[in-house]
Amino acid sequence: MSAAAALPPFWSLVEAHGDELLVHARRMTDDDAAEDVLQDALLRALRAYPRLRHGEHLRAWLYRVTTTTALDLHRKRRHEVPTEEPPAPAVEAEYDDGAFESMIAPLAPTARDALRLRFVEDLDYDRMAAVLGTSPEAARQRVSTAVRTLRERVTA
Amino acid sequence: MSPLSDTFLDRLASAAVEEGLADAVYTTLSTPLGALLVVQGERGVLRIAFEDEPEDATLAGVAAGVGPRIVRSDRELAATRDTLSAYLEGDDDTLGLPVDLSLAHGPFRRAVLDTLHREVQRGEVITYGELAKEAGSPRAVRAVGSACATNPVPIVVPCHRVLPASHKLGNYGGGPARKRALLTLEGAPWRD
Repeated sequence: MSAAAALPPFWSLVEAHGDELLVHARRMTDDDAAEDVLQDALLRALRAYPRLRHGEHLRAWLYRVTTTTALDLHRKRRHEVPTEEPPAPAVEAEYDDGAFESMIAPLAPTARDALRLRFVEDLDYDRMAAVLGTSPEAARQRVSTAVRTLRERVTA
Repeated sequence: MSPLSDTFLDRLASAAVEEGLADAVYTTLSTPLGALLVVQGERGVLRIAFEDEPEDATLAGVAAGVGPRIVRSDRELAATRDTLSAYLEGDDDTLGLPVDLSLAHGPFRRAVLDTLHREVQRGEVITYGELAKEAGSPRAVRAVGSACATNPVPIVVPCHRVLPASHKLGNYGGGPARKRALLTLEGAPWRD
């Protein structure tokens, strides 16, 4: 039996996890954008689906794809605000997003994602672990290492 | 937790189909033969399952055969649904649906089912022996029997029109009651 044969029909994942993924998308964006983010995420997942090597941890994988899609939307929204002009409140969801982003900008992308999930999206370590596909302990480590790096930069 | 709306699911499935991302699309519909699960690929109907067959297992079989990108959409299969319903409710005499025999196992079974689909029309019956001859292997009567028993697309590929030499009802994957109902609907002759 080929590896691809072990993948369940995609729609069974949508039926099993779609509701909680919508809640997750809402938490990471807002009510208006959540369905668009989730549709985009599920289409991304569908494009990648046949290339998965096995059918394990599919729920955590879908959480990761949804998270990435939501983070991409945040990045896109930031780029849509021209820097010369005052930020338009309708476009910018979090007013302190810019300050937070410039503070974490020097860090590696994985460290930035960990800090966003912890402090912007306010996820606990268990949920972060599901999103990042790590253990809760590894998620905690990532956040504390990133925080330590930031602190060292400030006090240096 | 708020469930995903039907509108959302419809939109998602249609976007997937439009982008060419779906290996197959499925729907369920209720008919005089009970609920049917219908799975369709780009080239035609891949699989029809009666309600006695567990849906999960049927869809897992389709995924293993043609790929796992399977989505559900009543809307994308509206034309197929209408055609099947009209035929099974007796409103239309023709069942002109294209089939894709990818899920039939092996070239001989595929040839048998293809011959049956093309040559045995509504109102006609054929015996297992005659069908073996038509498919080019007159001695393979038993193999014709197993081709019918494992027919992935019953109703559209009309295994219900295949009878034993006695012209009695004989076996049917969906059970003898459904075979009788289909032959009655089609006005075909068999010996009770």
